[in-house]
Amino acid sequence: MPTHAGTPLIEVSHLTRVYQRPRTSLTKPGGAVHALRGVSLTVHKGERFGIVGESGSGKSTLLRLLCGLDKPTAGSIRFDGQEITGLPERRLRFLRHSLQIVFQDPMSSLDPRMRVRDLVAEPLVALGEPVGGRVAELLDEVGLPASAADRYPHQFSGGQRQRIAIARALAPRPKVLVADEPVSALDVSVRGQILNLMADLVDEHGLTLVFVSHDLSVVRHVCETVAVMNDGEIVETGAVDDIWIEPSHPYTRALLQAVPTLEGLL
Amino acid sequence: MLSVEGLTVRAHAAELVHDVSFRIGPGERVGLIGESGSGKSLTALSLMGLLPEGVTAAGRARLRDRDLVGVPESRLKDLRGRAMSMVFQEPMTALNPLMRVGAQVAEVMTLHGKPRERARARAVELLGRVRLPSPEQVARAYPHQLSGGQRQRVMLAIALANEPELLICDEPTTALDVTVQKQMLDLIAEVAPALLFITHDLAVVASVCERVLVMYGGRVVESGPIREVFTRPRHRYTEGLLAASKLTPRGTRLPTIKGSVPPAGRFPGGCVFRNRCPHADVTCEKVPALTGEGHAHACWHPADRG
Repeated sequence: MPTHAGTPLIEVSHLTRVYQRPRTSLTKPGGAVHALRGVSLTVHKGERFGIVGESGSGKSTLLRLLCGLDKPTAGSIRFDGQEITGLPERRLRFLRHSLQIVFQDPMSSLDPRMRVRDLVAEPLVALGEPVGGRVAELLDEVGLPASAADRYPHQFSGGQRQRIAIARALAPRPKVLVADEPVSALDVSVRGQILNLMADLVDEHGLTLVFVSHDLSVVRHVCETVAVMNDGEIVETGAVDDIWIEPSHPYTRALLQAVPTLEGLL
Repeated sequence: MLSVEGLTVRAHAAELVHDVSFRIGPGERVGLIGESGSGKSLTALSLMGLLPEGVTAAGRARLRDRDLVGVPESRLKDLRGRAMSMVFQEPMTALNPLMRVGAQVAEVMTLHGKPRERARARAVELLGRVRLPSPEQVARAYPHQLSGGQRQRVMLAIALANEPELLICDEPTTALDVTVQKQMLDLIAEVAPALLFITHDLAVVASVCERVLVMYGGRVVESGPIREVFTRPRHRYTEGLLAASKLTPRGTRLPTIKGSVPPAGRFPGGCVFRNRCPHADVTCEKVPALTGEGHAHACWHPADRG
């Protein structure tokens, strides 16, 4: 187990994001949606950090902000000591290099008209880096044959497509891997393969992992630290095992009780 | 009450569901589990007579004394939504976005001959029965004004409108949040007459049903009482699925089933699971029959009761 007394890598403080609803009347402005209400968290180097919440909790908004895909209404995000909020895209290159994402549904996150070779090389091409033999190397790392490079995403199963998405994310050798519900769309028999693969890769490359899920039991298997989100706020944060055994916030307790488990039912 | 015998579903040359047989008694709640491509949804759709174009069902399925397979559409139309009804996974695509919710609940009753006024009143009553707060108001709302969980309750109200004998639910809670899922499952268990519940989630099926059918590659590979099947699985696929569902402590390897589910029509001959099974040998090139009273399995090398 790595210890995190060390360096904070991502520091989020008092992050707020308010969306404006489109107006429904000529005279009045549309209502406001408070997607994030002053969220603060710290992810240390080498840590596996989980974010748990249901739809509408603000976890996707938080993720978009972390990845520099959206601008907050207020608050700050420092990545490796550098402020990323308010930076124009051309000055976010370092972030694109150091932080990569794997999305939930590999069918919609991979361009169906691109070959796997180009999909995996695209982050490198975008950053102006040499591709060389990197594609074959990456495919091998995620357990796909080299021949996969010439095929299209639809020729693969869901689990294999998620492997392609992981290979693509690892292409620029990031420091941080962000995974947004990476196994929610997969069959149970394949879920374990992908979680094992991610654990291996995080270990091998010394990655920092930010893992978003609606399922606290999956987060417990993957992460050591967790933040539970509800209604735009972090209601509880700390070591996963502590929260699992003794949730202190009523929402966390409700969440834990609602998840049906085989052990509990049989 | 529902008896299915030798149900086979074909699309052109490919056989997608092979020789499926089971029964559901009055008031019984039966789960049908399997991963994507196992044929579980096709099994349900063939009972409802809702198979897509080019896909045909053969075999026998009877709801009390009425045949469901191989009968003309006009007969099925009369049964669907009345004697049997179905709740689908995605309520947003199943509901008509241009019609008020109350009218959609009433429609299924007027279609089966209930006078309009009585149907309207009963629609509100039904929305209350599925525990929607202020049902009169909900009845006047359009689907987009409701949350996912509320929409799924509306679907359930529509399904229950004509007091069906059989309710089929196809992944009714997959698109819902866990806290909403729990309420929905409790509700389904409470209101369902006889239930066929389709899901890929083992824990969900265990919380709703009494008996389970495990499907893989278009076949029922194991069936029996939930507790029996989930604590002492016989088929190697069920065994693998149960192992893969349990999340072991952090830092340990998760048990997995090797490979992935083959695409439809590409399952191996003989035992459909043999290309992924750690116990497969030459015997498995022959098709194993589903044998056993009560707790049945179709496997040449079943896991030992332990």
